[in-house]
Amino acid sequence: MNVTAGSGAASGSQMGPLAAGPRPRLKVEQVSYAYAATDRSAPKFTLGPVSFEAQQRELIAILGPNASGKSTLLKLLGGVVKPLSGRVEIDGTEVGGLDLRTRAQKIALVQQESELLFPLRVWEYVLQGRYPYGKRLRFESDEDCLMAGNALAQVGADELRDRWMEQLSGGEKQRVILARALAQQPSLLLLDEPTQHLDIGGKVELLRRLRNLADENRYTVVVVTHELNLAAEFSDRIVLLQKGKCLRIGAPGEVYQRDLLEEVFEAPLEVETRTSGRPRVILRGSH
Amino acid sequence: MRPLTPRKILGVCGVLFAVLFVVVVVSLRMGAYPISVRDIVMTLFNGVAGRREQIPSEFWLVVFGLRLPRIALGILVGAALSTAGAGFQALLRNPLADPYVLGVSSGAALGAIVSLVIAPHVPGLIQIAAFAGAAATIAAVYFLGRRGGQLDSPTLLLAGIVSASFLSAIIMFLMTTLSGRDLRGMAFWLMGDLSSPAAIDLRWLYFILLVVLGSIYTTSSDLNLILTGEQEARHLGVNVNRVKLVVYIGASLLTGLAVSVSGAIGYVGLLVPHVMRMLFGTDYRLLIPASALGGAIAIVIADTLARTVVAPTELPVGAMTALAGAPVFIYLMRRKVR
Amino acid sequence: MKIGHGPATVIGRRGILDARTAESQETCPGWSKLTLFARKSVAMSLAILARLFCFGARDFVGERLRRGWRRRAIFLCAAFCCAALNCATSGAMGDESYAKQQSSTTPASPSAPPAARPNASGKSAPATIVTDETGRRVAIPADVKRVVTLAPDLTETIYMLGLEDKLAGDTDYCDTPAAAKLKPHVGGPQNPNLEAIVALHPDLVLATTSINRSETVDALAKVGVAVYTANPHTVRGMLASTKRIAELIGAGDRGAELVAQSQARLDAISMRLADVPLVHVLFVVWENPLITIGQNTFIADALRCAGAESVILAKQNWPQISFEEVVRLEPDYIVFSSSHTGFGAQELAALRTKAGWKDLRAVELGHIAVVSEEVDRPSPGLVDAIEQLARQLHPDVFAPAENRKALLENGKVKMKNGNAPRRDAESLAGAAL
Repeated sequence: MNVTAGSGAASGSQMGPLAAGPRPRLKVEQVSYAYAATDRSAPKFTLGPVSFEAQQRELIAILGPNASGKSTLLKLLGGVVKPLSGRVEIDGTEVGGLDLRTRAQKIALVQQESELLFPLRVWEYVLQGRYPYGKRLRFESDEDCLMAGNALAQVGADELRDRWMEQLSGGEKQRVILARALAQQPSLLLLDEPTQHLDIGGKVELLRRLRNLADENRYTVVVVTHELNLAAEFSDRIVLLQKGKCLRIGAPGEVYQRDLLEEVFEAPLEVETRTSGRPRVILRGSH
Repeated sequence: MRPLTPRKILGVCGVLFAVLFVVVVVSLRMGAYPISVRDIVMTLFNGVAGRREQIPSEFWLVVFGLRLPRIALGILVGAALSTAGAGFQALLRNPLADPYVLGVSSGAALGAIVSLVIAPHVPGLIQIAAFAGAAATIAAVYFLGRRGGQLDSPTLLLAGIVSASFLSAIIMFLMTTLSGRDLRGMAFWLMGDLSSPAAIDLRWLYFILLVVLGSIYTTSSDLNLILTGEQEARHLGVNVNRVKLVVYIGASLLTGLAVSVSGAIGYVGLLVPHVMRMLFGTDYRLLIPASALGGAIAIVIADTLARTVVAPTELPVGAMTALAGAPVFIYLMRRKVR
Repeated sequence: MKIGHGPATVIGRRGILDARTAESQETCPGWSKLTLFARKSVAMSLAILARLFCFGARDFVGERLRRGWRRRAIFLCAAFCCAALNCATSGAMGDESYAKQQSSTTPASPSAPPAARPNASGKSAPATIVTDETGRRVAIPADVKRVVTLAPDLTETIYMLGLEDKLAGDTDYCDTPAAAKLKPHVGGPQNPNLEAIVALHPDLVLATTSINRSETVDALAKVGVAVYTANPHTVRGMLASTKRIAELIGAGDRGAELVAQSQARLDAISMRLADVPLVHVLFVVWENPLITIGQNTFIADALRCAGAESVILAKQNWPQISFEEVVRLEPDYIVFSSSHTGFGAQELAALRTKAGWKDLRAVELGHIAVVSEEVDRPSPGLVDAIEQLARQLHPDVFAPAENRKALLENGKVKMKNGNAPRRDAESLAGAAL
């Protein structure tokens, strides 16, 4: 496993770039982005500026209504698109400056998956995550197999090893995709709406697993999701976006304010605080 | 447990080489000229040993002048078409892609027709013109299939299909308005024909084949990843644009090469990769060499049948590949065990 | 191939190609731009290939060479393949060896031990280098004993020259005369089996541009077989070709005699027709769709020899025309060739009832001429067809006495009166077939 620069269990509830302490694993500084339909027309969509930091063992959730720029922010974090201004740094290095392979060794990005054309076994699929390590035309080494096995163990999918990908259920498939991302041995794990096609049990299980991975295996996890309550339950911090603007970044208790949520999501919402201290969002008037 | 090792690849290739060798030997035996196996073997040995004077010149003629060049051409064409087919199936993310789907064969046919109109009896011009037509089509489809400066698979497919249709329409127009006498040979060319010797020395063609094959092979790991999704491959560190460009140019060059020397032999580029996939799995590090060898075997068998089944008439090779290939494919498809 | 500048350059080819030259001059584009483009694109593609190779092979080769035994194995395989390939592709140079072999005894059993057979360095008969009608240089042995023909008209020519004993093989479609069907076959004219040709040990193979493909001729030439390609475009050209072929096979006298006879017959016809205006005809190659002949075809020349001219002036060889054109042009005669549908009296009667056809003046008057399929074939037998056609198209000029006699015998009125009853067409057809 990679040993990262930032050691220690920072609680991660600090906001802003002024926090002192060990170097943050992920640092987002005034990142903004815009795109337009053509080069000459006015920008159709602008994002930012957004700034925050994340340490290892942190799980950050990015929330917001549709078309608020959540996926775009995730892509900026992953280095898939270059920001218009500002920097994204991972372990002190700017993400945009990394070549593809090094970036894949540090950051794993899990997006909506494409359809598989030809049948593939789970084991082969997970092994593909080892691609960033080694030469271009490569054959898997024993170390690769070891790492892939570890990744499968981390997601609890050992028994799925010899199954065909197409035969997996939604939850199993999600675990395998996660295993492939983990096989990359990343420092930063980015997931774009991973709970989309899962039932409620699957959603809970996935987020719990992500939480475990963050806590025990010291990943930094950033998840884009629509699940307000699950995000509140499992994340350390929330980034709330609306129409490309970052409205608030903070612990769930701080971000989940009724007025703010109602305005952002345009729905009648109530916020309760549970015994654990974490908030819960419910529909108003549904008693 | 490692899924694929170089040893396994070499093993499979060794088996396929052996099959190819047997097929070549059988094919050498068959033909209209009566020559026994013993004489063939003697001719081969003496030829390889350099003792040409000891062989009756007619044996030399038949073995080294007629049969072996044809077999060698068949191997070249089979390897080129199957590898191109496998490459296009990955590039276009479409299991139905064959080497001709991007219009390369139509461009080559147009080049051939134009050369037949302008200079019908210049030896070898038709092949050079066909390759020129293919190259022009490759460039045109590339520029049409770009989107945002990069090769976009669905756009590429559309551009290719449109080009193929357009070029076929032009070809049809030319064939009806031009002199029927000159274009008599076009029918054979379009069906695929291995009896004409290549304009350029076969050694150069093989060199080009191996170079391009090698280049495509080096992208085989990347292709494995691209097959699970382009975005996913990018996130894993694959330089998807470069890989697509290499595969596009390489596979199109192979197709152009094959079509310009032998016309448009169909079904090989489509079926052989699928058959190899069924037998050996979808890993492109194994699939590419397996397809190349499998295609060579298929074409040599088809050509042998084409020239002996209704002797002395020769059937077009393309007809044999279709007749023989489809039932094999159906059989394997039904037998597939999950 | 010569590449010049400007639109009127002929692409260099030696040979008797009057009509062909005219055709190619029409279709020549500006070459200078094309060569520049060609050079640029060749350079570009070479550059791409090089880049492809370097880009792809760098890591691959580096990794491979580090492992010892694999390197050796790959090297061995590559060396073996190269050796095999070398042998396979260098064997195509069989020119001298084939010709020399032919000079030796007639083919014995091929399975005789190699040591006993005369080897390639044996004595060779003197061969003359001849330029055939497509500009190719061919080395033809002085004593031609075995000939293989690749087209029905060439077979017919051989028979008319009386050289059928030298004919070792012909194609599947050679059926005139009937004896030709019994000769060994080498396949079709378009796709003959090369090995079958070689197995017949021919001294000379005859091909023609009207049916055979240049790829076939290339393949045979590459293997060292002497192939003479005829390129007949006109009737007189065909006769010259026949004479040349006869000389090459060693029957120069017979050839000159045949050609002189045919020429005399043709001259007789043209003398008779000297003052007669050309008859406008429509030569129907195929009825549906309606296909006729172009100006540059062999048949057009045969028509001219018979004192007729096609109403359709087209550069393509087999133009497809619309029926309206025919109606507009109103040909005097309609000519069918009997090979196509086996034209008989019933077909003619059927033609009378067909929509469109029955309104044509030629059909009404019964001016239908049917000629044997020889007219399609550039061989000396064509002269018969020309005579037959001339007789039908100019009945008043040709032996009117015999014609009148035939008509009177059948109780018909002769054509000169202009009000010919309908049944005349049938009698003509009967005379023709």
